[in-house]
Amino acid sequence: MSETRTFSMPLGPVHVALEEPVYFNLTVEGETVRKVHLTSGHVHRGMEAMAMQRNFYKNATLVERVCSLCSNSHSFTYTNVVENALRMQIPARSRYLRVMAEEIKRIASHLFNTAIQAHIIGFGSLFMHVMEVREIMQDVKETLYGNRMNMAANCIGGSKYDLPREKMDYLAKQLDIIEPQLREIQDIYANDPMIRTRTYGLGLLPQKDAIALGVVGPVARGSGLKVDCRKDTPYAAYDELDFDVITRDGCCAWSRVQVRMAECFESIKLLRQCMERIPEGPIVTPVPDFIANEAVARTEAPRGEVFYYVRTDGTDTPVRLKWRVPSYMNWEALGVMMKDCKVADVALITNSIDPCVSCTER
Amino acid sequence: MAGFLKVLLRNALQGPSTDPYPFAPTFSPKEIRGQVVVDPEKCMGCGICDYTCVAGAIHIDKREDGHTITVYHNACCRCANCYKYCPVGAIYLTDNWHSAHDHAVQYEQIEQQVITKEHCLNCGEPIRPIPLELATRLYAGKDDIDPDHVRHLCPKCRQMEDARRLHNSLAKPEQA
Repeated sequence: MSETRTFSMPLGPVHVALEEPVYFNLTVEGETVRKVHLTSGHVHRGMEAMAMQRNFYKNATLVERVCSLCSNSHSFTYTNVVENALRMQIPARSRYLRVMAEEIKRIASHLFNTAIQAHIIGFGSLFMHVMEVREIMQDVKETLYGNRMNMAANCIGGSKYDLPREKMDYLAKQLDIIEPQLREIQDIYANDPMIRTRTYGLGLLPQKDAIALGVVGPVARGSGLKVDCRKDTPYAAYDELDFDVITRDGCCAWSRVQVRMAECFESIKLLRQCMERIPEGPIVTPVPDFIANEAVARTEAPRGEVFYYVRTDGTDTPVRLKWRVPSYMNWEALGVMMKDCKVADVALITNSIDPCVSCTER
Repeated sequence: MAGFLKVLLRNALQGPSTDPYPFAPTFSPKEIRGQVVVDPEKCMGCGICDYTCVAGAIHIDKREDGHTITVYHNACCRCANCYKYCPVGAIYLTDNWHSAHDHAVQYEQIEQQVITKEHCLNCGEPIRPIPLELATRLYAGKDDIDPDHVRHLCPKCRQMEDARRLHNSLAKPEQA
């Protein structure tokens, strides 16, 4: 007589970690997860097909609506790929403005993920505190660009918004306010016993698995892999700026948060350099005639590498626009991370890869 | 743990971070992207705003004597593409983000301007005069042209006037 030792347990699709749907079919043995089967596609909206029915100018706004946390990364990569296809060079000032928009967005995005981790652990007061500190960056976005999430900073040929001196001063002032508060948060996430016991050594992704699965972004860097598009294939003004690629060797959820916190300081460093070195001049260049061509572009979003491909046929509408987002590679790693973990840790491990479901399923 | 207790105590002493909106004002920078407004004095009806509007919020209906431009506030995603690409600066975003309204009146949340053509000063052909600001910029450095006069002429009469001016300037040296 055979004995059934395992049973399957559904988790999701609603609100597993973030307010985004993913469905897990877990095979559990007692409290231990033995196998993970992940089903996605709940928020497929047909964005790629929509992009193929709209002209290039409209798409710069459309792709920004793919996701809210990495909205700027999408419009950034999209404008890069269209400019590559049309063989355009953007003005030097615009290259710096694009980096600034991206780094402001990165700080806010990393803080959001870090806050959600505290929320899942059940550390409500820390969650509220980190979100409150994040409000400083939200106010920066609102003051500099006019919106808290969809900044509309980029357009084909350059930037939509210039940053005059008084806005730069405001940004510098806000960075001075947020920096000591970030140091405090970094210290809490590194040393607080509640955080440490819950996340240290959790969701292990050994380096050889990280390489085999091709993970990107803070997930790869948390497993000690030095991969960062900003350094590997510099774009915009990144080759003229001085910053470090942060890596940690812990391979666990705790290490990934440490990577994200340290990257916030790198972003502040980049923003300060940009404010210092940004050249004067025009912020946008005229769009030439559309030609038949194809091009790719990749940038480092807060979650990792975003890749865009475009094919044009000389009309104002792309024949094909395709993108691949970091969470696509990263959530394959969940199978490795969740091996033999406890059911209660599933949400925490899911959050540790900073999943962006709406990007991946678009 | 002590590290966070310090933060907690400080936050408790600081009091609430939230604004008591709507009973008191809340943080709202003047650059915030709010509802769209169309300036009927400037709008030429060229349609570039409609061409670049991803949300399909802008409608331009051509009529015999001009055009009607309608912006549906509920469809607008406030990306400011219309503002960015409008060649005459006729459409822009205000800092008014107060858009709460009853569901029953959702289709009345619009910005609509009826724009009628004027008559060419010379031949009487119905035209949309280009805004003074743009005309001043276009004819900058040409002291013999009055931008405010030229902008009220139809393209044909403008060409004729230009030809006459060219003829005069060429004729003068011969007389001298």
